[in-house]
Amino acid sequence: MSIIDASNISKRFGDIQAVDHLSFDVQPGEIFGLLGPNGAGKTTTIRMILDIFKPDSGDINVLDGSMTEEKKNKIGYLPEERGLYQDIPLDRCLTFLATLKGMDESAAKPVLEGYMKQFELFENRHQKVKELSKGMQQKAQLITTLVHDPALVIIDEPFTSLDPVNTEMVKDLLEKKRDEGKAIIMSTHQMNQVEELCDRILLIDHGKQVLYGTLRDIQNSFSSRDLMVTPLDELPISINGVKEIRQMNGRFRLILKEDAQPNVILKNLINQGVELTEFEIAVPPLNEIFIQVVKEQEEGTHD
Amino acid sequence: MTKIWQIIKHEYRRHVFQKKFILSLLSLPIGVGAMAIVAVLIAILSTNSSPVGVVDQANFLQEFPQEKQDGTIFEPAIDFLSYQDADQAQTALDGGDIQAYYVIPETYPDSLEIELVYDEKPDSGVQNQFTQLLKLNLDLTKNLDANIRHRLQSGSNITITSLDGSREMNEDEWYLVFTPFVAGTMFVIVVMTSGGYLLQAVVQEKENRTMEIVITSVSPSQLMTGKIIGNIAVGLTQLIIWLIFSWIALKVGGLIWPVLQDFSLPADYILVLLLVLLPAFVMVAAIMASIGASMTEAQEAQQVSGLFSLPIMIPYYLSSVIMTNPNGTLAVVLSYIPLTAPITILMRMAFTVVPVWQIVINIAILVIFAALAIWVAGRTFRMGMLRYGKRISLKEIIGNRVEL
Repeated sequence: MSIIDASNISKRFGDIQAVDHLSFDVQPGEIFGLLGPNGAGKTTTIRMILDIFKPDSGDINVLDGSMTEEKKNKIGYLPEERGLYQDIPLDRCLTFLATLKGMDESAAKPVLEGYMKQFELFENRHQKVKELSKGMQQKAQLITTLVHDPALVIIDEPFTSLDPVNTEMVKDLLEKKRDEGKAIIMSTHQMNQVEELCDRILLIDHGKQVLYGTLRDIQNSFSSRDLMVTPLDELPISINGVKEIRQMNGRFRLILKEDAQPNVILKNLINQGVELTEFEIAVPPLNEIFIQVVKEQEEGTHD
Repeated sequence: MTKIWQIIKHEYRRHVFQKKFILSLLSLPIGVGAMAIVAVLIAILSTNSSPVGVVDQANFLQEFPQEKQDGTIFEPAIDFLSYQDADQAQTALDGGDIQAYYVIPETYPDSLEIELVYDEKPDSGVQNQFTQLLKLNLDLTKNLDANIRHRLQSGSNITITSLDGSREMNEDEWYLVFTPFVAGTMFVIVVMTSGGYLLQAVVQEKENRTMEIVITSVSPSQLMTGKIIGNIAVGLTQLIIWLIFSWIALKVGGLIWPVLQDFSLPADYILVLLLVLLPAFVMVAAIMASIGASMTEAQEAQQVSGLFSLPIMIPYYLSSVIMTNPNGTLAVVLSYIPLTAPITILMRMAFTVVPVWQIVINIAILVIFAALAIWVAGRTFRMGMLRYGKRISLKEIIGNRVEL
């Protein structure tokens, strides 16, 4: 059963087609990356999933059916436009938001305490929210998103304002939730985080689907016939089957001749007595794929 | 339902347990109390309760009151001392034994003139008590029955009864005239307080960017209902605490100033008071909520809300017209206009008999407009909830087109 099943959804605001015939699904136990340049329609898509907006056409099924008030308790949402009640103590703010997700105060208390300890906010629980740093508030917002153990988590830029230690902790937490079978939709511009976390991605631009599938398939489809190698000493000046050798940060990029196969090149290198510490097929970073695809789209729309 | 309860609790706690609220709550009774204490102190300090001399050349005063009358702080009981002649009395006055003396000349029964000699003019209370003393000694009254004499002395108490007999009023019910003013003022203050809080409360989620988190947890109508009830509860808390203070003040004041002990409101007046003020309260609160929902910043909303609070006060500015002609066209029309209706009807009821059907129409109008205001508030809120930094136009609220 899909957690989200969107088919052919569209949304228009005035002259702007924010979302244009988009179809996708999100499964339990996966981290799903919703990517796209600014203004691509990511937030509108998320808001349609959450029934803040109704799509002009198309259907969205969330948790097996259309959105209801009861289902809100099973969804955790960290929006892009986010904040907390500033004038009250942190624990009261978190408790209030947890009760709005249908938790009893008594049930919320131990869970919140656990999270506050994990996020190193326990000492600050009696402080007013406005006295907390931006990073602390960001952690508190993540607690609000996760406290009620939602089946569907939708997070928009979860790592902004977090230091590397906390970023790592949040990543572990998200992976743990995925392993528990929760569905997580993550929208971010930090492509390295997407590469590390996401199982599948949907890349949209101008409200349209550009890329959709598993991260591996997408990267493979963009991989060239290049190899990345790092020799222990030196590379020979010429290698059979290699058209060109480029040095990059101590690594070498080997551009193959038309008919050459990677395993034949490996064999050739070993035969030539080269010792290698690294040999891999060059997969383009998601960042490059993103830029390339978005640029192509831009050119396409300008033609 | 539990979510609405959580929102009510959140809104209530946000204000009621704040220093600012407690201060504003106590400042009014403390201010009024302080003024009362100052007034009493001034009265005590400025009222001269020393005896007054009487030189009775006409031999008119045969009888002095058997027992000393009960005085009040504002009018202490005065002892009247008899002197043989004006010289003696003058000596006593110069010596400070008495504050003044009356000389009743031999010609008094014909001339009806009495001389009062003083250094500093005595309070009116002295004059009143001396008049009582004279009344007691009038020939005319001497042979009358004690009860009748007492009635003559205490003077008239006129009771006015309306033609249909449904309404009576006498001097002892002076407070009925003040009630609409006091109740109205309290209403305005309480409405403005809750309305002001509600205004902030509705803008709050937009200002602090919790809107999307909240509306993906509860429905907009749950949020709105919780906010309206929560902030009305804050206003009612304020009202109840002030009423308790007023009750204490009446009880304490009654010890000093016995007239206050007579204070009691007729049950039907209280009923109408509640039936009028409750929907009016909800209506104004919902209007405030609509304003808040259509604005993006609390401060901006505060300014616009001022425009709506003015009409509520209009009956006060026109009070002389309403008082002199409480069933006139202006008064009747004002009691049908939603914002001016609550205070106008209370004022009219204090001064005249308002036909029941007019009261019913008044309440019905208030209830209908309260419901309408809630509907508009909900609609405005839905439209404005995700518009950070952009106001909603009236056209959008009324029309169907929503520009997002």
